[in-house]
Amino acid sequence: MRRVSENQNVRQLVTNTLENKRRLNDLSNQLTTGLKVSKPSDSVDAGSIARYQTLIAKVDSYGVAISQAKSFLEYQDGVVGQATEIIVRAKEIAQQAANETLSAESRAQLAEEVYQLRDQMASLANSSYQGRYVYGGADDDDPPYDKLTYDNPASGPAKDRYSFDGELGTAVGKSFKITDEISVNLNTPANNVFGSSIEGLERLSRALAGYKTLPATSGTPDGTGDAYVFPGEYHVQTADIRGAIDLFNKARDVELIPERVSLGGRLRRLETGQALLELTKSSAKEVLSRLQDADETEVAANLQQAQTALQASYSVTAKVLRMTILDYV
Amino acid sequence: MVNFTAKLLGNSVSGMTVQQALLANASNNIANVNTPGYTRREIDVLSRVDPVAIDGILRIGGGVQLGDIRRITNAFLESSLRTIGSKQGKAEVRNEYLGRVENIFSLSGAQQTVGMALNDFFSSVNQVGLNPSDLDLRLSVLQRGEDLVNSIHSAYQELADTQTELDQRLGQEIDSINVLTRDIASLNSTIAQREATGTLAPDERDQRDILLGKLSAKVSFKTLEIPNGMINCYLDNGFPLVSEATARPLTVTTAPSFAPGPLPPSLGGGILSYVTYDYGVAGAPTHLDLTQTLQNGEGSVAGILQLRGYADVNNTSAFEANGELVQMASRIEAMTRNLLTAVNQEYLGPDEDSGTGVHEPSSADLNGNPPGVFGLFDFTFSGAKDADGNGLPSMADLASTGIDSFSRFLKLGFSRADEFAAGRDVNPTAGARMVTAGDGSNAQAIANFRTQSQNFSVGSLSFTGTFDELYNSSVSTVGSLKASAQGEYEVARQSYSVASVKRDEFSSVSLDEEFANVIKFQKAFQASAKMIRTASELIDTIVGLI
Repeated sequence: MRRVSENQNVRQLVTNTLENKRRLNDLSNQLTTGLKVSKPSDSVDAGSIARYQTLIAKVDSYGVAISQAKSFLEYQDGVVGQATEIIVRAKEIAQQAANETLSAESRAQLAEEVYQLRDQMASLANSSYQGRYVYGGADDDDPPYDKLTYDNPASGPAKDRYSFDGELGTAVGKSFKITDEISVNLNTPANNVFGSSIEGLERLSRALAGYKTLPATSGTPDGTGDAYVFPGEYHVQTADIRGAIDLFNKARDVELIPERVSLGGRLRRLETGQALLELTKSSAKEVLSRLQDADETEVAANLQQAQTALQASYSVTAKVLRMTILDYV
Repeated sequence: MVNFTAKLLGNSVSGMTVQQALLANASNNIANVNTPGYTRREIDVLSRVDPVAIDGILRIGGGVQLGDIRRITNAFLESSLRTIGSKQGKAEVRNEYLGRVENIFSLSGAQQTVGMALNDFFSSVNQVGLNPSDLDLRLSVLQRGEDLVNSIHSAYQELADTQTELDQRLGQEIDSINVLTRDIASLNSTIAQREATGTLAPDERDQRDILLGKLSAKVSFKTLEIPNGMINCYLDNGFPLVSEATARPLTVTTAPSFAPGPLPPSLGGGILSYVTYDYGVAGAPTHLDLTQTLQNGEGSVAGILQLRGYADVNNTSAFEANGELVQMASRIEAMTRNLLTAVNQEYLGPDEDSGTGVHEPSSADLNGNPPGVFGLFDFTFSGAKDADGNGLPSMADLASTGIDSFSRFLKLGFSRADEFAAGRDVNPTAGARMVTAGDGSNAQAIANFRTQSQNFSVGSLSFTGTFDELYNSSVSTVGSLKASAQGEYEVARQSYSVASVKRDEFSSVSLDEEFANVIKFQKAFQASAKMIRTASELIDTIVGLI
């Protein structure tokens, strides 16, 4: 026959009561924190949980970066759009001016508007976003197009010229990671976008105003060039105007449109990246939640059960310990 | 005529005496119902043999007599209780301390962990690519860098402090072991003296069992009871802690005689102590190293040593010790060392003039200044950091500083936002370093580092993967260590409780049983008293005849 001693009785009752109380405590902790895993030892999946937590934090930070990059590229899209419109207008003027029925004086009257267009184009090339020159590449603290002067004339808008500074950093693209694997290039050097536009506008405006631009046919103007001698050089002026039209065509076909296409492509890539990150994040969150979050209904039900068990052990303990043989002898 | 009346009286008296003795024993049992370690006792009752046969043929019996007093105990139950007690002692310590250090790797998101700090740092470096000359973005790199350094510091320090605390606790445990073994030895001698006269010394034996139980919670040992009642206690390697009436006190020392040279440092830069038995010349004793035997055993001392680690006297680094805390600290230290070498190397950029021997950084900060050898992550040290002078940080450079744990000395290599070298030479072929303010290629190279697999190696740790992967695997490791310690603790607690219940079932006092016995003894006493009256009536009858 099994003996039951007083100590044994008390020990068992107390151990069971404490065990029930500990369980109640664990469950109420889970319910108040909402987490069933808050320490590595709470689950064998601790390593996975840490991995998903890192993944979500990483996706969040990439998400911020992507939205900043998107607004930067959208800004550039606007700039290139404006530049295209300027070129369309400039080409209209050039075609009108190329007509040899126009006198040199009438051509000179058209010059004024082209100067405006040229300055506008230069300011687009030198546009800044959040205090940085967009097309400055890595050299974004000074404008990519410097304002210089011609030897002839010495005054008036025809003396101004804009020249690409060609500093080393301008050619360096800015890029950054939008996911662990994909980096996106954020900008194009100014001369690759605006080079022909500015040169064309400058040649056109000078030609209309009555000045040659050297070198005569191609290449970046070097700041020299005398006035046409009319009427002898009237056809040279016409040829220069036609040359400008070629440059506008080049600007549109080789520089502005490809840049716009490329911007659109990069924006789409960012959007795809963003969508992909969202997808990664939501699936990671789902897995993490399954691994780490407490199922509140289940915990609440278990809590109820634990409470009942604890009450039962209290009542059993009190009843059993109150019983003694002394009441009967 | 034979005098049966005298026999009647004699037997009755012997009955009354014996029942009284039994009642007295029951009263002692009842009084000690709550005494810890008390073993209930029983008195053997024997019938007394008639010395002579009456009329040469009849042996009625000479009444009853008291036999020996017995402790109701079971050596097997006692020793299994001690074995489980040792297991519980070890599991309890490991569970307690691992529970503390696992908070370093918390998953609740409520506190800054090294994993989160790593993530934030690399993210902030990547953001610099968006606008490298932006001071706000650079400031964020500086702050996240500080956060990373601080979280590494505090994680490492927590581990090192815990190791130091365990080392101190080891000393306290050894002190109490010495007190226990001394008391056991002196009880051994008392028990032998008392029992030499043939009487049992039950109270002393109870006392000794309690002490053996306490000792077993601290250290595992084997016992051997020798015929004179003494108990010898042996460690697992046969070293006698208690041998008859002699106890062998253990010592904790940081200058053992078996060390050939300077001792290896601990995680915090101190020295881990050794548990020894000292013998030989007083003042300059020889030390017998018992640390590893204790570590391989059970009990709280084994738990402490398994966490804290044992440093072989020939080791030179804290990370060569074999403790669980050391394992975790190695992972943090491995991250630190790779930040100091691989990440710093990337930060310098490719060699500016690959022809010459010294590495010229091709990266530069906002002011055009190139970073130092330890430009991104640095450490506090007064001597030469780039010992080989080749301009590149390497593990060999770190080794030659003589510093063991760099995690304690890690700091950021720059202190102002503009000093973060985000750009790299845009024209490496030109002679001079040309770095523009808006260039973020160096920052991008560092950000890429996050997804690059590297080799991490410190002490016995060898891991290939990214920083994140190392951190995540550390979370798994600490989680499984703690979970297994907790599991062991739960099991040990349950088994201890079961073993205690078994022991109580066998040896502890049951009031029900005692009171039933009291009634039984009382009735027997009353019956013997009644027999005396019967004898008296017999005599009265005889006297009435006269």
